[in-house]
Amino acid sequence: MLDVALVSLIQDMSEKAGVEGVIQYWSRVGESLAKRMGKEAYLGWPSFNVALREKRTAFAIEGDVIALTDLAITDVDGDVVGYVYALETCVFTPTILRVRYSVGEMSRADQLVAEEYNNTVEDIAVCNFCVIHLKFRAEIAKNITIGGQSLEFYQLATRGFTGQTKILEQNLKKIGINPDYVRSLLRNYACVFALVLKGAKLRGEEVAEE
Amino acid sequence: MNNDTKRSSLIDKLYRKELIEDNPFVDVAAYLFLEDIADKQGAAGMNTYLMSLAVSLAKSMPMEEYKTWDEFLEAVRKSESIITTFESVFTLTDNCIVTTICPFSRGWLEYTQRIGEFNPIHTEVAEYYNATVKPGAVDTGCVIHQTFRNAAVERIKVGGKPVKYAQIAAILADGRKKVVPEEWLPPLLEKAGITRTQLNMIMRNNACIWVLYQER
Repeated sequence: MLDVALVSLIQDMSEKAGVEGVIQYWSRVGESLAKRMGKEAYLGWPSFNVALREKRTAFAIEGDVIALTDLAITDVDGDVVGYVYALETCVFTPTILRVRYSVGEMSRADQLVAEEYNNTVEDIAVCNFCVIHLKFRAEIAKNITIGGQSLEFYQLATRGFTGQTKILEQNLKKIGINPDYVRSLLRNYACVFALVLKGAKLRGEEVAEE
Repeated sequence: MNNDTKRSSLIDKLYRKELIEDNPFVDVAAYLFLEDIADKQGAAGMNTYLMSLAVSLAKSMPMEEYKTWDEFLEAVRKSESIITTFESVFTLTDNCIVTTICPFSRGWLEYTQRIGEFNPIHTEVAEYYNATVKPGAVDTGCVIHQTFRNAAVERIKVGGKPVKYAQIAAILADGRKKVVPEEWLPPLLEKAGITRTQLNMIMRNNACIWVLYQER
């Protein structure tokens, strides 16, 4: 119920603070949520991936996040420095359904906030809640260490409630994954992202430098 | 099976789980958003914010009209009326409504599991609400819910007459209770059509007890 109530305020907030104000608000909420969840340390990628499967890591608050272990990310030396992860159901889907069957329709501000985010920050949001979500993941990644190294988060692709998709080609290039493959992942998943050891020399970056 | 029943059963099958269950990520984020407001505006400011949030939600929902009280109660029980769209209820009498599980409890459990101890500001705001608006809230969820119910009944007519709502008791996920003041209880229990012993019995394993009625 709290989420539906909050949605009813988005329109009000965007009229008072502007859509850019809503983006700032949501970014702060994502950051604050990540900070409150604290730090985590893992010996290696297998222990992190097990923690994710058992829902012990902060990333598990999103729901069923699957580690796509066939999509290991390697650095220029061929060492595994990260993995691609996929969220089965967007955390906002239950809210959209509740709004649909309680209020009737989604606030128009939802898409206005997403469009403003896409124009001013990064072209990847499919709804206004992506703003909280993307900031949350980026901050959580900083709070997790694997083998003593903190993580870096790369958003790769999103699929919205009405089926619209967004893909961040520049991030795919960095980690060296084919956009068509990620597109096919969106048939089964709502959101695809990568976690990589901070400072790792990625193959895609090497190609870009050449 | 008529068309209405078929449709409602299809929605149940498709979405009921998502519609009733709360949303851990969004709910915990929303609680933190509210705490951010409380940091800046204190308990009074947060209370005002929660109440306007609940009223704004109710006003965004369509008006309802029912021919008879029985027809209305049927919609209430099936969570098809705006007044019970967020919760699972049963009706102990024609006027006494019992919420089995608080719609905010999933968010509360996720918060206490992932973040830690629930921020005391949520009960402080409820105390402010009890002192300045109406005594009946245990935490911020109750402030939103009770204000919402109050605004939602104003959008419902049964037999052309308005419906009234009154709160009797609210019980938090950890068992803390808030029952209306002693002097308010006899008329409310009479309206609800239950005894004090029955009230205590229902409070043991439910989340909220409230009354819907019409002025004679």
